[in-house]
Amino acid sequence: MDHKAIFDLLAERIGAGAIAFHEDPIEPWAEIAVGRIAEACLFLRDDPRLAFDQLMCLSGLDWDGYDENGKGKSVAILGYQDDGTPEPGDRTATGDLGVAYHLYSHSLRHKFTLRVRMPRDRNVVPTVSGVWPTASWHEREAWDLVGIRFGGHPDLRRMLLEEDWVGHPLRKDYVMPGSWSGVPLQGQPFSENPFAPAAPAPAGGDTPAEG
Amino acid sequence: MAIEATNGKKGWGDQDQVPGIKSELLELNMGPQHPATHGVLRLLLHTDGEIVYKVTPVLGYLHRCAEKIAEGVDYKQWVVYTDRFDYLAPMTCNHTYVTAVEKLGGIEVPARAEHLRIATAELSRVASHLIALATFGLDMGAWTPLLYCFREREEILNLLERISGGRMLYNYMVPGGVRYDLPRDNWVADVLEFVTMMEKKKLPDYNTLLTYNKIFIERTSDVGIITREDAFAYGCTGPVLRGSGVKWDCRRDDPYSLYHKFDFEIPVGMGEMGTVGDCWDRYIVRVREIEQSCRLIRQALEQLPEGPYQSIELKKPVRVPAGAAFTRTETAKGELGHYIVADGGQKPFRNKVRSCSMCNLQVLEKIGVGLMVSDLVATVGSLDIVLGEIDR
Repeated sequence: MDHKAIFDLLAERIGAGAIAFHEDPIEPWAEIAVGRIAEACLFLRDDPRLAFDQLMCLSGLDWDGYDENGKGKSVAILGYQDDGTPEPGDRTATGDLGVAYHLYSHSLRHKFTLRVRMPRDRNVVPTVSGVWPTASWHEREAWDLVGIRFGGHPDLRRMLLEEDWVGHPLRKDYVMPGSWSGVPLQGQPFSENPFAPAAPAPAGGDTPAEG
Repeated sequence: MAIEATNGKKGWGDQDQVPGIKSELLELNMGPQHPATHGVLRLLLHTDGEIVYKVTPVLGYLHRCAEKIAEGVDYKQWVVYTDRFDYLAPMTCNHTYVTAVEKLGGIEVPARAEHLRIATAELSRVASHLIALATFGLDMGAWTPLLYCFREREEILNLLERISGGRMLYNYMVPGGVRYDLPRDNWVADVLEFVTMMEKKKLPDYNTLLTYNKIFIERTSDVGIITREDAFAYGCTGPVLRGSGVKWDCRRDDPYSLYHKFDFEIPVGMGEMGTVGDCWDRYIVRVREIEQSCRLIRQALEQLPEGPYQSIELKKPVRVPAGAAFTRTETAKGELGHYIVADGGQKPFRNKVRSCSMCNLQVLEKIGVGLMVSDLVATVGSLDIVLGEIDR
């Protein structure tokens, strides 16, 4: 089934929840209202005409500073200076966050892409881990790295970073914390050993006997 | 933290409980430096005696922020980071990434480059599957096959070193082609000789040593069964999905590169030694895939066309028009995917990696419950995960 027909079926079901269909030549995608995404996914999985039995990928996105004109002028992420401290900059990120869902149907062999987008301060999306169990870890990763909360997720812990880590690294305004658990992370020149070297052995202690 | 095992008369594993004696679950760390976890994976087990009550994988020990780095470097510079995903089959990961960039950027690839890519990627796949067989055998207590498998892998590393310059991390493919043409010696003849030897002599050796070994079959059949439904629901791909009896291969069913021109079969688990989807089925799928990879290498090299091997000069940066696309390809471990959001510049705006090992490992939370600890080792070994790709 082609993408437009899939979108029409979806729009028939969730009405205004299906916001728009974008006929992108490489990958067409549908924009869905944040609150209706779990319902949309359940319908896409269970309807025999659609039968999307696999969630290929779930990606958390931070759209802050994205160049909508497609000229490559997006705001660059913060870099680090030679002495290990972040580049100076006091830009406050205001852009939207988003999630992209890539679905596939093994039986009918068609693909579909859904995207949701929400303001930065209301970063909660209903979980789809009840629809496809594989979404559980993808959502944990999106929470860990992009900082998107998934409402109703059974076990929303950080996945790759430690539970007490500060910040979400894949956000565009992320600055690495100064230290974590006593381990210095920044402010150290890259050429320098962050750990103090061991004290030198006392001279003239026990010299091997000559002979 | 201890979980109350049960309040009834029977323990969780159905064993009798002595009245008046309070029993509780044992918390056991398997890893992060456990040889059976194939890398720095930590499995937090709650066991009731020998039986696993709950298994919680703890990840992140090898996290290197590859996705964040992708946002700061240009498209060509990031190819080296894909080498470090699946360090046992880096060519297949290179292939995924360059395919994704080419799809989004509309970059043409010369046929000669595609043939070289397929040949090297399949050699890498064979090397990865050899490690999978070797370490799986080792987990089951079979030490000898490891030596044989590593001997053959060494030859593959030598061959790939001659074409790319690297032994383990190749950085061989670039968007628009491959970095180097064939070496000026008789590389093709040597590869074809290796492939023939592999098919005629080495695979029967492995089958005698390990595949049809009675002890090995006893340890792996009917253990860690992944049903077809679970495999789909948990997003399993690659040999794990095929081991569950699903005839699905991205190379044939969602074709990329020039795989549609070549002739190969898709081996699936058939439950020959037990139930469909058990550890032995996943193992045998890998053995048979080596055979098919050998066929692919032979076809790719025998039909190798003359012509250019790059469509973009190496020093020229790649510029990708604005857009977003998800691309997946079949690596040795499963379907690796890249979701690249481009803004029209020389750097990706976002590059999300869909890790196949991560999805394959997730199913352990379900199938690991109720297994013996020793069978859990077999199950983890048969999933053939690589932590460099899970943690990225």
